[in-house]
Amino acid sequence: MSNPGEYFYTDWAAMTTNDWVGVILTVVVFLLILAAYIYALYPKNKEKLEAQRFIPLDDDQLDGGEKHGR
Amino acid sequence: MDATAEQKYNLDVVRWFAVMAVVYLVVGASVGVYIASELAWPVLNFDSPYLSFGRLRPVHTNAVIFAFGGCTLMATAFYSVQRTCGVRLWSNKMAWFTFWGWNLVIVLAVITLPLGLTQSKEYAELEWPIDILIAVVWVSYMFNFVMTIANRKSSHIYVSNWFFLSMMIMITYLHVVNSLAIPVSLFKSYSIFAGVQDAMIQWWWGHNAVGFYLTAGFLGIMYYFLPKQANRPVYSYRLSVIHFWALSFGYVWLGAHHLQYTALPDWTGSLGAAISLAMIIPSWGGALNGMMTLSGAWDKLRTDYVLRFMIMSLAFYAMSTFEGPVMSIKTVNALSHYTDWTVGHVHSGALGWVAMIGIGALYHLITRCFHTEMYSVKLINLHFWAATIGTVIYVVSMWVSGIMQGLMWRAYDDYGTLAYTFAESVEAMHPYYAMRAVGGAIFLFGTVVMLYNIIMTVRQSMAEGRVEQARTASLATA
Repeated sequence: MSNPGEYFYTDWAAMTTNDWVGVILTVVVFLLILAAYIYALYPKNKEKLEAQRFIPLDDDQLDGGEKHGR
Repeated sequence: MDATAEQKYNLDVVRWFAVMAVVYLVVGASVGVYIASELAWPVLNFDSPYLSFGRLRPVHTNAVIFAFGGCTLMATAFYSVQRTCGVRLWSNKMAWFTFWGWNLVIVLAVITLPLGLTQSKEYAELEWPIDILIAVVWVSYMFNFVMTIANRKSSHIYVSNWFFLSMMIMITYLHVVNSLAIPVSLFKSYSIFAGVQDAMIQWWWGHNAVGFYLTAGFLGIMYYFLPKQANRPVYSYRLSVIHFWALSFGYVWLGAHHLQYTALPDWTGSLGAAISLAMIIPSWGGALNGMMTLSGAWDKLRTDYVLRFMIMSLAFYAMSTFEGPVMSIKTVNALSHYTDWTVGHVHSGALGWVAMIGIGALYHLITRCFHTEMYSVKLINLHFWAATIGTVIYVVSMWVSGIMQGLMWRAYDDYGTLAYTFAESVEAMHPYYAMRAVGGAIFLFGTVVMLYNIIMTVRQSMAEGRVEQARTASLATA
């Protein structure tokens, strides 16, 4: 495949309804996951998100650690 | 003793699910060792159709996936959702319905599968009346979980609940669609799908059973129980959010990689393989997130055997989520497909990841729910080494066997004819099948040790009246 244009050539006229549904879903999923990545990695959200790390540790007064299951 | 938790939350149903999970682990592993032995020594069939590999294999898979895995997921989800939301389960009655309904499904599976009553769909063998029961019970589990979250006192929904929820939603969807069938009698039905569509639906279900049931659900366990056991917050919450969304968006695309070189359109398998490779990134991100939770406190592994199970499980999770995508590449798949390499891969995920993280969580749960120390820490250590060594022997034997099989099947002589007959390849596998049975038996030994340890722990708790004391203790002095 020496010609990239040939490799990426698409016969748009031959696209069926199923093909269009697939293409649109793929693009929408890609955009949604991009939005999720941007939200999670946006510096301003760091403090808010990382504060949630402590939820399991704050849910009781028990100690964990080196107690073999206690 | 945590009297507050005992009085605030419904731990009864969690206790029952947790104990039954261990019982089913022993049962499922026993059947697994037996059928592995049948492959090495076929005389163990005893010429009985009820004991044949074809009928007992789904008993093994259903027992370990749905009985052990299901009870573990239900125990841990019901426990952690109460703790992270600060409220009791939405409905105790519905939780008990889930418990008895799920156990009824397991009993029906144990009866019908050896009788040969099956839809012949892998990991979805049970006939249509049981499929309907599974759907009803599973929805009751999900509904109770969702309503508990809806009633929560905390503003944020902790990430473990997101993972559990994605599993519940996706498994409902997958199970219902894959099980669509036309009944012709009480015990016989035919899938509404046919040909390659049936194959694609089957592996859309099959791989997502791995992706959501055995991965997302057990990641929910990891994100709650690992920080609890280590007494340290998860390494990065942002990474856990990315892990969740990447896994949820990505996993549903992978099923087609099970159907390389079949009647399925070529591009579908290629797409499945491409997304499989992309999934290495979030999977490893999640594994590192779990492991790095111990950053600065690795010394805990010297003394905390429960934590060892959890960290070892993450090592296997990382390994199998790398191996799987590599096997999905067409050139590798040409060698690996239909061989024991696939069996080895599945068991590095099943024994190494799913069972070990589940076992770690169950040890944690048992002590918390029965308000006592484990009967024997030494036995937990013995179990850890039996599980690890057994898994490694199993996986290595299947790697060698599988690669040898693949090479023998495609070896040609100078005249273009096959170099080996199929029977010769079977004969060459015998030492590895025996080795696999030994590895499985060592793993099984560990599960029996666990069951004994837990029975003794429960008896100790009952003898001392620990649960009753926690129920009646004044919270001010507890």
